[in-house]
Amino acid sequence: MAKKPRAFDVTTLPGFTFIAILSFVLLYAPIVTLVIYSFNGGNSVNQWGGFSLEWYVVAFNNEAVQEATVRSLIIAVWAAVISTTVATMAALGTTRRGRFKGQTVIYIIINQPLMVPEIVTAVALLIFFSSVKLATGYSGLGYLILAHSAFCVPFAYLPIRARLEGMDMTMETAAADLYATPWQTFRYVTLPLLLPGVIAGAMLAFIISLDNVIITEFVKSAGQDTLPTYMLGQLRRALTPEVNAISTVLLAFTILILIAFAFVTKKRA
Amino acid sequence: MKTYIVATAALLGSTICAYAEGELNLYNWGNYTSPEMIEKFTAETGINVTITDYDSNTTALTKVEAGASGFDLVVPSANYIPIYVEKGLLTELDHSRIPNIGNIAPEWVDVPWDPGRAHSVPWQWGSVGIAVNTSVYAGDPNTSELFLNPPPELVGKINVVPEMNDVLNMAIFNAGGEACTEDLVVLRTVRDRLMAAKPSWLSMDYGTTDKLSSGDYAASVNWNGSTMRARINNPDVVYGYPIEGYPLFMDNVALLSDAQNVDEAYQFINFILEPENAAMISAFARYGNGVAGSGEFMPEDMKTAPEIATPAEFAAAGQFLPTCPPSATDLYTAIWTELLK
Repeated sequence: MAKKPRAFDVTTLPGFTFIAILSFVLLYAPIVTLVIYSFNGGNSVNQWGGFSLEWYVVAFNNEAVQEATVRSLIIAVWAAVISTTVATMAALGTTRRGRFKGQTVIYIIINQPLMVPEIVTAVALLIFFSSVKLATGYSGLGYLILAHSAFCVPFAYLPIRARLEGMDMTMETAAADLYATPWQTFRYVTLPLLLPGVIAGAMLAFIISLDNVIITEFVKSAGQDTLPTYMLGQLRRALTPEVNAISTVLLAFTILILIAFAFVTKKRA
Repeated sequence: MKTYIVATAALLGSTICAYAEGELNLYNWGNYTSPEMIEKFTAETGINVTITDYDSNTTALTKVEAGASGFDLVVPSANYIPIYVEKGLLTELDHSRIPNIGNIAPEWVDVPWDPGRAHSVPWQWGSVGIAVNTSVYAGDPNTSELFLNPPPELVGKINVVPEMNDVLNMAIFNAGGEACTEDLVVLRTVRDRLMAAKPSWLSMDYGTTDKLSSGDYAASVNWNGSTMRARINNPDVVYGYPIEGYPLFMDNVALLSDAQNVDEAYQFINFILEPENAAMISAFARYGNGVAGSGEFMPEDMKTAPEIATPAEFAAAGQFLPTCPPSATDLYTAIWTELLK
């Protein structure tokens, strides 16, 4: 009797388009403004003084910016490599076997950095690392790399696990039937299939490390400013579009990697 | 005489060079240290300076307090110096190792937060006053009445920076009270006046330099350095020193008790007390420095700047804000919270 209702579709709800557009505007308008003012010829971050690339030149020639950039990249590469390795092992351990007791607890522990407030991790690491520094006398980049690796693990873990859950065990079982050792099975069957997930995880970890502020601010030793902490330090004096220029480059870099991430995860999925 | 001093300094510099390829770790506010001044220091002493940035007194204190920070010198604001001292984080300065200690201008020696300069030397200082656009309001800018009871020309066009201590204390001075007062009569007046004035304010925001330059704010409670930059963009802007009293601030260089490079740190402290070098610090960050005789080395636009060189008749009204006891801070926070609602 009753008409068959149409399948539920959120896009047909009243006001959907309006709210969607509003959300995008609110999210992106400030970023677009920031990018526009990076091309400001004047020295203000909100008064237009003509188009110019001068602040990009200023930022590029600023020695502090150069050093901070190199330092940020070194830390991000190391953090990505370490956290992805750990995350791959964790993902294999949690998916390539049947359900086991305490699985949920393990998931929560692995994803802990996503849930614990960053400032808590930052203060904890500050206290812990300063006693290590006292005991060992070492104050190099190692602390920052370790700290970054730790909070990057869940970001690398999630895409790898998603990939593994989409792969059933038939290939591995077949390899084992053909007398492949566990290592050979992993090396020649699992890893090649898993590779897009690993690359995606590494890229995500890289970006997360590159953008981190709070933990870095607390863990850094003398002379270890990264690009984001350098920018934070600029707030004491009047901001110039130099900060916009640096932000824009960082943003462009992040977007490029995220696009690459989207391609890698889409392919063969 | 001067050439003699320079020659001695050069000689001293070269001899130091000969035996020490020193290191120094300076922990300072970001974008606050003149790179030219650091280059000159390195050229004269052979000491490499590593600068690390912080963005707030609390961040710096937390990191130093955790220990093994690796820093030698830190630059806390005046009201944080007693906290550092109380926690035993600073070394008492050996004045015999700082020949230039006498260059500190007399008014900056016996300061309330560090009597006799036992633990710190001046880095830069400034004041909080009222910037006014004279094309909108031509009256006397030197009064805190301008934001507590704005004249008709400024109603709806005045900004107040959202800095609790600066704003409340300016209002307390206006009501005849002292910094950190817990006198409820004074505080009630302060609260009532602020609440009554708020509807005639345009906003409570930062970013004053730009908005004063563009004329978006006809007036603002503002810092002197920022007002100077606005005035350079827009000659109509003047800086008023409220005659009823206005807050001063100073950042100070202090030697950490776990410093590794103590000799280098002393050389640096002595170096920045040289008038010519102090002027380089000011030329970069655009604030006054507290070293006698540095004025003649300042860039031309700062030498004469009325925002930097406080006119004599207003100097006495400037007051440093001490570290208030928690009981006072609680009262102030309550007023501030009500004001921000």
